[in-house]
Amino acid sequence: MKQRNTGWIALFLAPTCIIFLLIFAIPLVMVFATSLFDYRLLPRTFEFIGFSNFVKLFTQDAKFLPVLKNTVVWIAIHCVLHVALGTILAFILYKKPHGWKFVRVTYMIPNIISQSAIAMIFLNLYNAQYGALNSLLKAIGLEHLQHNWLFDTATAFPAVTMTWFIFAGYTTTLVLAQCLSTDESIIEAAKIDGATSFQIDRLVMFPLVKRMIGTTVIMAATYMLQMFSMIYITTGGGPGVSTANLPLYLYTTVKANNYGYANSIGVVIIIVGFITMTLINRLFGMNKED
Amino acid sequence: MTHFKLSPKQKAARVFSYLFMALCVLVALFPIVWVVLSSFKTNREILSNGLQLPSTFSFSGYKQALEMAPILKFFVNSLIVSFASTALNVLILAMAGYVFAKKKFRFKNLIFGILSLSMVIPSTALMSPVYTVITKLHLYDTKMALILVYTALSMPISLMILRSAFAAIPTELEEAAYIDGAGFFRTFWQVMMPCAKGGLASAAVLAFLESWNEFTFALLLTSSTSTRTLPLSLSYFTSQFSFNYTAMFAAITIAVLPSIIVFSIFQEQVCSSLTAGSVKG
Repeated sequence: MKQRNTGWIALFLAPTCIIFLLIFAIPLVMVFATSLFDYRLLPRTFEFIGFSNFVKLFTQDAKFLPVLKNTVVWIAIHCVLHVALGTILAFILYKKPHGWKFVRVTYMIPNIISQSAIAMIFLNLYNAQYGALNSLLKAIGLEHLQHNWLFDTATAFPAVTMTWFIFAGYTTTLVLAQCLSTDESIIEAAKIDGATSFQIDRLVMFPLVKRMIGTTVIMAATYMLQMFSMIYITTGGGPGVSTANLPLYLYTTVKANNYGYANSIGVVIIIVGFITMTLINRLFGMNKED
Repeated sequence: MTHFKLSPKQKAARVFSYLFMALCVLVALFPIVWVVLSSFKTNREILSNGLQLPSTFSFSGYKQALEMAPILKFFVNSLIVSFASTALNVLILAMAGYVFAKKKFRFKNLIFGILSLSMVIPSTALMSPVYTVITKLHLYDTKMALILVYTALSMPISLMILRSAFAAIPTELEEAAYIDGAGFFRTFWQVMMPCAKGGLASAAVLAFLESWNEFTFALLLTSSTSTRTLPLSLSYFTSQFSFNYTAMFAAITIAVLPSIIVFSIFQEQVCSSLTAGSVKG
């Protein structure tokens, strides 16, 4: 019986392993290996240059450090402020005020439609000529505050940040689900002991959902580390590189036919991801078994 | 609601709660409502005042959008790619998840550990080599390329959801099927799969959302209208519709409305899938 199963087990694992090899394992090896090469097509170049790509990234490339900084700042904003926004809403909704279900579903909508659609919507909202934001400023007599939001160096970074920062429906849904699954008798007991609603939130509920908040922080970090489409569609990383992040810079480097250099950026993305995840795990004690 | 008198502090908290909720609803709905309303305005109305309501409800923008760009073609491409990759993803990861949950074999933990790596690698870092692999397989600019990549992108989350779905099924059930003479495959397909329905649904919902909305790899791996998907078609509108704002707003509406409708119908399922994905992931 055991003997015969081995074949079946191999057969059941094969498709997953093949796709894993093709899309994750081989590319992962290629990213690390070719980051040490001057690797281009047209004219075909494949020359070992050691860590030169990395040296160039950190010491000569005027674009790279600002791009790295943008990426890190965005990850931090998303992990802290975005998650806080979603969590505050979840803490309001778990007490089931009037209309809580409506708010939960509505706030989730921007997270369900595609990023590219959201980006297109904001491209128009921010439009200097007919956008809703400038129209609103005009209507309330604040014309002097009008900007070409996405294309003005002073406003581009915060304007792009807003396109994802305010949509924390995912976080709300997850934290809320965790809040609602806690035993109500714990809350009741705290109430009988005379705890105020704020004390219950802070001292009872928060510790119970802390790990879930940790999970949403990890998701937020991953989301920002992979962010590409919304920047690509709205500003394309400009003006200059003021709204570019690592994936966008990697993409433009690939398009510039500089594969080895692009893959050294890929290595940096993987390392930034690894450091971020380790930090978050430490902070939220995610590795501990309960 | 309550029989007690509220202290001023509690009243303030309540006012804050409702204000905060109202603000969140406004933030979520205003951009979409603005786009939908603008799609009914004429070009002149859009340019003269961005906040004015449309004077008449004309669908001419929609007609123009459908004539100017192959939106329906993109839509069908998205449907094919999303359904195919979701089906493939759920099927092969159910097989793998079942084996990891219920079978003992050599190198099990090692193989699982390696597969779990896919969870911690940011996929954007792999853009360039994935492009190379797809080109080498002669799949560049084909739907198959996207189906393959999307199956992989949803792999980590599906593996976690499905492994725990199968682990939760009592082993006695499996043994009973064996004793009744069912083979390996029949036990999996006719006994275990129906029991894992909840997990399968969760994994499918997440995989479908991922494929339906994915942009980066679609941009990287396709170039022609016969393969491009709906999220890409939108960025293409910026140049196509440079001077026809009505049609552009109509196009955005066409792109977002199906997702919103489907979500409104299945929101309970979607939300519980998201929760399942996060707990297991």
